[in-house]
Amino acid sequence: MPSDNRRIQGPEVSSPYCLFQSGNKNVDVHSGRSEVLSSRKDSRKFMEHRKIYLKTGVVSQAKGSAYVEFDNTKVICSVFDPREIPNRIEYSQHGELFCVFKFAPFSCLTRRAHQQDAQEKELSLCLKRALEPAVCRHEFPNFQVDIYVMVLENDGGSLAAAITCAGLALADAHVPMYDLVTAASLGVTGDKLLMDPVEEEESLCQNPNKENQNHGLITVALMGAHTQVTQMWQTGSMTAACVSDALTHLVQICEETYPIAQRCLVKSVVDTISKKAQ
Amino acid sequence: MAGVLLSEAEKTFILHGVQSDLRNDGRSRQDYRPIELELDIVTHANGSARVRLANTDVLVGVKTEIDVPKPEKPEEGKVEFFVDCSANATPVFEGKGGEELATEISNFLASSFASSMSFDLKTLCIIKGVQCWKLYVDILILECGGNLFDAVSLAVKAALHNTMVPRVETVAMDGGNVDLQLSGDPYDCWRLDTKNMPCLVTLSKIGEHFIVDSTAEEEECSMASLVFSVTDGGRLNSLCKTSVGSLHPHTLAEALKVGVDVGVRLNKALDQALAREDRRLEADKPERFGFLK
Repeated sequence: MPSDNRRIQGPEVSSPYCLFQSGNKNVDVHSGRSEVLSSRKDSRKFMEHRKIYLKTGVVSQAKGSAYVEFDNTKVICSVFDPREIPNRIEYSQHGELFCVFKFAPFSCLTRRAHQQDAQEKELSLCLKRALEPAVCRHEFPNFQVDIYVMVLENDGGSLAAAITCAGLALADAHVPMYDLVTAASLGVTGDKLLMDPVEEEESLCQNPNKENQNHGLITVALMGAHTQVTQMWQTGSMTAACVSDALTHLVQICEETYPIAQRCLVKSVVDTISKKAQ
Repeated sequence: MAGVLLSEAEKTFILHGVQSDLRNDGRSRQDYRPIELELDIVTHANGSARVRLANTDVLVGVKTEIDVPKPEKPEEGKVEFFVDCSANATPVFEGKGGEELATEISNFLASSFASSMSFDLKTLCIIKGVQCWKLYVDILILECGGNLFDAVSLAVKAALHNTMVPRVETVAMDGGNVDLQLSGDPYDCWRLDTKNMPCLVTLSKIGEHFIVDSTAEEEECSMASLVFSVTDGGRLNSLCKTSVGSLHPHTLAEALKVGVDVGVRLNKALDQALAREDRRLEADKPERFGFLK
């Protein structure tokens, strides 16, 4: 991979200082477990989603854009006009989505590099798969729509926020779609299910406490009007019963967030019309 | 994937075959094609395996090297998966063509092996925070005839089962430097615990039904496919939808049951095959087959 020497490079190897702080939660993951099992830090119920803020048309120069906040998780997305697929000789019947998912360098506890790492590439692909079924791709053959998602601040559920955000931005860019996509994530630790986990709860869910304990994260994206799951992504280790249980909860939450996204779009349409009337 | 061109009539033929539970190669919906497995075929690798699933051919080599552990996980070793979709398999993979598929497979493998219950990276630690083993799992796709995920995972699990990690005899800290002494006997090695490692199962939806082990032609007809990573004990390590298309939540829940069921059977079959291969290798003069038969 060619290095980018126009940017000021940090030292070759550096490690975040928080690893050396006393009471470091990365080293001692299990200390917070008993607290989480009884109640959550932000006094939410276990099946309660964080408050959602949605806004479209935040980037004036993009064809369509959206901004999503799940409390401290903040995601911005821009969608640009369809253009011909670069470096492609043969004709493709369906239009393509080109998704780039990126964490801002300062968005996480540790610094992220400017270039996409493996995790970001994986999330880009997940995002693409989540949006593809919702877009009428036959309407723009041989063209691609560019979707750029930037996570400004990550406090858990960034993929879910990114999918919701990109779905709204696509609609805002007047890309023909079958339906809106909304997404939600859920953490599993033991027999506890945590809806929309924050980052601390996410790292708790990634480590098993004792042998044969269910643990992991699930993200589900749903087209609300058609009740179609467009993407499901699970990591960790859990029983099939646990996954299908989580799936029902997640579908329910996605259906609940669907009207919020709709209202956001309606509001942007009303605003544009009233602006034109003036 | 491999750029198979099918006409509408051919697609309908395959669809009708799946509906009546008789696919065009005579299999039922939940049958695998014959699988060939060979262990220990690359001399320079610490562990290697080759899996041939009808027309899909995968070669995996594991190399062990010494590395410094990550500062946030001082007592864990490292493992990395690299997939090389070579242009040997299909001209589509030429240049950067296979890159997307390669990242998809390697990332999915990484997330399926991420749980410490499947692969305990602490066993790869030499000195906490100073030195650890790093396993490079290199996957070479030689031929691509559909169902790449399953074939790759079988080969990876087999290669990891076959991997011999050299035994460290003495470790001395000399000032800030580490002085490692490895055993002089090249056969003085230990092996990884692969019991809880997962296998991947891909279910493709054609019409109203899910099928396992789809051929390249069937993949072309499928609207949606799900990849499950299932362990021996029937636990799900990872799940992802990999193709265009969406599913109803009920269909998904049904697919879950089928996927886990198939995964457990696949794990069992692989374990038996591995035991058979081990016995063959332990025999005085193991019968040598051609590298690529």
